[in-house]
Formats: sequence, C-alpha cells, structure tokens
Amino acid sequence: MMKSKLGALALITASAIALAGCSSGAAGSDAVSGFDAAGAKGQDITFWVMGGDTPQELRDYLISEYKAATGGTLTIEEQSWGDALTKLTNQLPDAKNTPDVTEIGNTWSPTFTNAGSFTDLSPIYDDLGGDKLLKSFVEVGEVDGKQYALPYYFGSRYITYRKDIWDAAGLTVPTTLDEFNQDVATLKSSTQSGFYIGGEDWRNGVSWVFANGGELATKDGDTWKSSLSDAKTVKGLQQFQELFADASNAPVTEKDSTPWVNINNDRDGAAPEAATIIAPGWAHWSIGDFTGDKVDDAGQVVLDAGGAPVETRTWNDATFGVFPLPGNDGKPAPVFAGGSNIAISKTSTKQAGAKELLRIVFSTEYQQMLGKNGLGPANTDEVSSLGDDQFATALIDSALHSKLTPAAPGWAAVEGKSYLEEFFGKVAAGGDIPELAKEYDAKIDKIING
Amino acid sequence: MTSTLQRTPRAAITRTAADNRRRKAFAPYMLLIPAIGILLFGLGYPVLWQIVTSFQKYGAMQQLGGQAPPFVGLDNYIAVATDPEFWGVAVRSIVFCVVTAAITLVIGMLLALLMTVIGKASRLTLQIGLLLAWAMPVVAATTVWIWLFDRRRGAVNYLLDMIPGVDMNRFDWLGTPTTFFIVASVIIIWMSVPFVAFSAYAALTQVSEEVLEAASLDGAAGWQRFRSIIFPTIRPVIAIVLLLQLIWDLRVFTQITILQDAGSRSADFDLLGTYIYKSGVAGLDFGQGSAMALFVLALTIALSWFYIRSLLKEDKQS
Repeated sequence: MMKSKLGALALITASAIALAGCSSGAAGSDAVSGFDAAGAKGQDITFWVMGGDTPQELRDYLISEYKAATGGTLTIEEQSWGDALTKLTNQLPDAKNTPDVTEIGNTWSPTFTNAGSFTDLSPIYDDLGGDKLLKSFVEVGEVDGKQYALPYYFGSRYITYRKDIWDAAGLTVPTTLDEFNQDVATLKSSTQSGFYIGGEDWRNGVSWVFANGGELATKDGDTWKSSLSDAKTVKGLQQFQELFADASNAPVTEKDSTPWVNINNDRDGAAPEAATIIAPGWAHWSIGDFTGDKVDDAGQVVLDAGGAPVETRTWNDATFGVFPLPGNDGKPAPVFAGGSNIAISKTSTKQAGAKELLRIVFSTEYQQMLGKNGLGPANTDEVSSLGDDQFATALIDSALHSKLTPAAPGWAAVEGKSYLEEFFGKVAAGGDIPELAKEYDAKIDKIING
Repeated sequence: MTSTLQRTPRAAITRTAADNRRRKAFAPYMLLIPAIGILLFGLGYPVLWQIVTSFQKYGAMQQLGGQAPPFVGLDNYIAVATDPEFWGVAVRSIVFCVVTAAITLVIGMLLALLMTVIGKASRLTLQIGLLLAWAMPVVAATTVWIWLFDRRRGAVNYLLDMIPGVDMNRFDWLGTPTTFFIVASVIIIWMSVPFVAFSAYAALTQVSEEVLEAASLDGAAGWQRFRSIIFPTIRPVIAIVLLLQLIWDLRVFTQITILQDAGSRSADFDLLGTYIYKSGVAGLDFGQGSAMALFVLALTIALSWFYIRSLLKEDKQS
C-alpha cells in the first residue's frame, strides 16, 4: 500500500524527485538513495525547528558545520508549536515552499509518515546510528519497517516538589503511586494544591492510565482502536478523577500550560500555589528563588510575550526537590515522553543537502551538545552527556519508562480536534467514566485510522 | 469613441432619445466590471475549491500524500447534518451573534445620541476614546481583557470581591461556557461599539433641525420625536450597520481562539469559526470543513437577503 502511494506521489513530483536523484520504491543504487556528498555541494537548504527548544548555540553549530560540509547555506526557521501542524500540512506538499528538513512533534509523525510526506531514510539509517537511536521514537516514525522520521531529541516529565512544605507535613518522597496520591491529597488546602494538575491536561494525566497498564489506543492487525473503555484505562482514569478532586485546585479547563509558576513563591515571597507539580525536564530553569528581573546586555529588562518582565529564578536545594513519578511496581510510572522527530520532506528538491544535515545532527559531537543543553540525545550511547545531577537522573529514569501516543495514521487529527482535552476535562469534572469513555471511543475510532 | 468623433456636430445635437437611453444602460455595467473582476479573482477560486472539496473525501492522505481525492457525493453534508454537536455549535453561534449584535447596536446608538447633546469638549474626548478602542489590534485588546478577567489576579474579580456579600475571589470566568461567552461578548461589543456609534452619529447629523423644531413646536415629546422623525431618517444606516454586525459576529474567530488558549479548547466553548477550523484544518478533514463553511456561507446569505431586499425596496421608493 505504501509503495503504490509513493508511486503516485512520484508521478506527481516526478521532476523534483528526478532532480534529487531519489527513486521511490525501486531498488536504486546506494549512491542515489543513500548519501550523495557530491550532489549536496552548494545546496542551500531550510530547516524548521519547533519552538525555542533548540538553543542558539546548537543552531550556530549546525549552520557552520553545514557550510563546511557542503559550501551551502543552512537557514533555520523557528515555527511556533501552535501553528506548526497547520504550516506543515500546508507547506510540506508544495515543493516551492517546503522546508527541506523539519523537526516534527513525535505524536504527529505517524500522520505524516503514513501519508508519505517524508523521504525514506532506511538506506542511511544505520549510518545515522541505527539500533542505537531511541527505539520508541524510531518506531513512531516507521511505516512497514522503513524509517521515515528519526528521533531528534527526547524530554521527559518528572515531579518537582516543595521540600519545605512536604517536610513540614512530615512526608517523605513516596515510593509508590498510591502513596503519592495519598500524600498530595493531605497537602491540599483551599489556598494550596497538594498536586497542581489541570483537568484538561491529558498529557500529564495519562501517566495514571499508563501506570495502571492502560492504553489510549491499541492496534489490532491493521486497524487502530481507541481503548478508553478498557478496564485498566478506566481504573487509571478513576485515579485521575480522584486525584484531581482531592489534590488539585486547578480549573477543569486548564491544559498543559506553565505549571512551574505554581510552585514558586511569587516575587514578593508570597506562598506558592502548589506543593507539587509535574513538568518537562527543562522546567527546572524556571523554578527557584526570585533573584531579580532578567536584563539583557544593554541593561534593559527582558519582557515575555505577554509584556511582563521575565523573572530570574535560582534553584534552591533546601526548598525544592525532584523525583520521577513512582509506579506501583517499584519502577517509575510510565510518563508521556516529550520530544521531537526529524525528517526530510519528500517534495524537497535538495535531498542530498538534507541528508548531509542529518549526518551532522546525528554526529557524536552534536548529540553530546544536545545532552549538555538538557535535551535527551537521540543516540542512546550519548545519554551520559546529560550529566549526573538530580535533574539528569530524574530525566533519564523517567524517560527510560516513558511511552508515546499511538502511532496511528489519524492521531494528529485526534489531537487537532482536542478530543483528549475534552475527555479528560469531563472526567476531571466528575463525569461518569465508563459512559464518557464509550462516547469518546466512538468519536476517536472514526478518525484514528486516517 | 471613434463613432462620436465621426459624427458631425449637427448629428450630435439631434441625437435621439433612444440613443441616449442605450448609452445610459451600457455605462453602469462597464463600471461594475472592475469590482466584479476583483471579487471573482479574490474569492472565485477559493469558493470554487471549497465547493468541490465539500463533495470529496479530502483528509491527510490527500493533502499530504498527494492522493487524488475521491468524490463522495453528499457524504460530507450528511455527516455534518447528522452531527448533533455541529447543530449545537451552530445554534449557539446564532444566539451569540444576535445577542452580541443587538447589544452593540443599542449601546452604539445611545452613545451617538449622547454625542449630539453634549458639549464640544466632552464630545471630542468621547470620540477619541471610541477611536482608540476601535483602532486597538484585536490580539492586544483580547489579551488585555483576559488579564482583566484573570482568575487569580484579574481586576474584575478584585473589584467585584470588594462589594460586601459578593464572593468572587478566584472566580473562573473562562471555566464554564456561559461565563466564557459573556466575556467573549463583552470583548466583541467593546470592539464594535465605536463603529456603530460613529455611523449612527454621522446619520444623526443628517436629521433636519427645522423638522425637529417644528415638531417640538407642535408639542412632540422627546420619545415621539425620536420614533417619528429621527429613527426613520437614520434607519437605512442602522439597518446596514446591524447587518454588518450580525455577519461579523457570526464568523468571529480571533477573539474566541485567544480566549480558548487561556481557557478550554473543548467543543462546548466553540463557535462556528473555531469549530470549523478545528474539524477542517487541525482535524485534517478538509472535506467536512468545507461543507460546514458552505453552510455558514448559506446562513450569511439568508441573513443578508432579508436586509438587502428591504434596502432595495427603499431604494425604489425614494
């Protein structure tokens, strides 16, 4: 099926593909489907990164290395996460406007790989790291055993808590999920969330489903089926419902937003909103004691998108601590893995240059640079570059047990329609779980297979 | 042109009346061509594409994979028509647009009347204030309103909470659909009132002073003067302003999206604009999205039809 799809695409974009020397489906010599250093000479390419996750230092490195390797110019364009899905949808099919290489949210990968938006990377897969690349991220970008999108970096979620508040209540770091649920419930008061989690925050809430052995969807043969009604999923959802009622003061309508603002004292020292949060690994840069407003080199106060001054926060070990969300089996509970994949646009006329960029991205040096900046490197051999401090340890422990959303062709549409925000919100609001699960299973089943 | 030049002066003078009429009938159509051309150029292709797409299965595979979209007849329309959620959103949108447009119109008219009776200095201050509200970019204005209604630190909750016996501490305005749409409505009314006020004020300056004076000499009270003289004079302007408000409020998108970012993205908080975007673009079902969009187009035309007909009638009478 994939082959015929690619065949049809090849016809339409015949000229583009001929230019790039990439044959689709056919056996093709390695020189054409693999790297083509000679063909990459002088090719100017564009790379889309999503949001500000890739630090400037890494961008500069890519640009200068690409110049050194090919003589061409690499342009890096940053897309905001909010618009990225629409922009990719509109521009990937258009050879004139497509990025040559793009970062892509890992949960969206299946939709694009199944539709045939990306170049088959299996001929160069082994050169880029092969089996050493993070498995779950490789799998989410595979169709029929061929790799169309590879891991770029991974992140993970873990718990950050207020040591001072937990200590004052006589609580210690929990070792099981049940214990965690009880502890945070006792910490709740009318002005303080024991555990701050929004009702619609399914990306974090799903950990309770995973921890109970539940899944969002399962694959039976060739078709995906939403499994919200599964007994294990329902059990996880019941725990989430209780947790939201007993431990959180967040509104039902709150999504995955900026949880770290809730665990900090405010700038005047007033008590925090929450004793415990769950947040992506890099959130620790925003957590700590207030140490003044951020100023730039010219001495000007830096403002955020909303016009408020950006606060500098300094981590304080006496007040804050981190641990992976515990499961009930002695291991950390599976959390939803954050992070991105990377792929080459099928319609790009500069396949050779694009592959050279991938060669740089998957080089040992760049992989280690990712790790040093707190981004989980795609090549698992380089994970040690994350360091061995408490953040790195919590990140690695939780990431090792992390899970991804279903690799279903229609998953991007499920997220696009905000079905899971709706569903988790209604569960958090105290709705009837089996009934809601049935309703949303039906809705999701309609679109999950693309 | 050349024929005119060839005519002898005498023939030009003795031009027949029929000749004159033909020229008159021809010229207006010529003048319409540029406008129609621009409309066709700008809107023709997208609307055509939308109509075609609404009869196709057009999803991720077609948009991203380059597959030829199969024609599915009325499938998309049937799916939309049998979806209770869509009808819920449609009814909500219509109620929202009628209520919002009506309140906008009343407040705008009252402000316009106020402008006619106050002194020059206060009128200028009022007009500048209205102009600023009108000129404020939508995103900036909506963001400020979201801050005002913020659950924890918003000025609205702070002020309401100061009223004895009222507990609005941490009241979550964006938490339930009803209060969410009240906030949305307030924002949109605030942004649209200036346009209504200025249009109505401009119309009010056309009301004849002499007639009003004569009426008051005959003993007509304020309300009677408004009902029998002022309102009939400004009615055409009010009618077109109301129509525009209805159309604008029906397809409102930006404000709702920004409010949803601050609150919930669940379907209970959708109006037609955001719902179509969510199903059609984000949900990668361009076929059904197109069918819904055409429904809104039909709704808009139906809404406008009544007004355009009455406007045409008035045109004929005058």
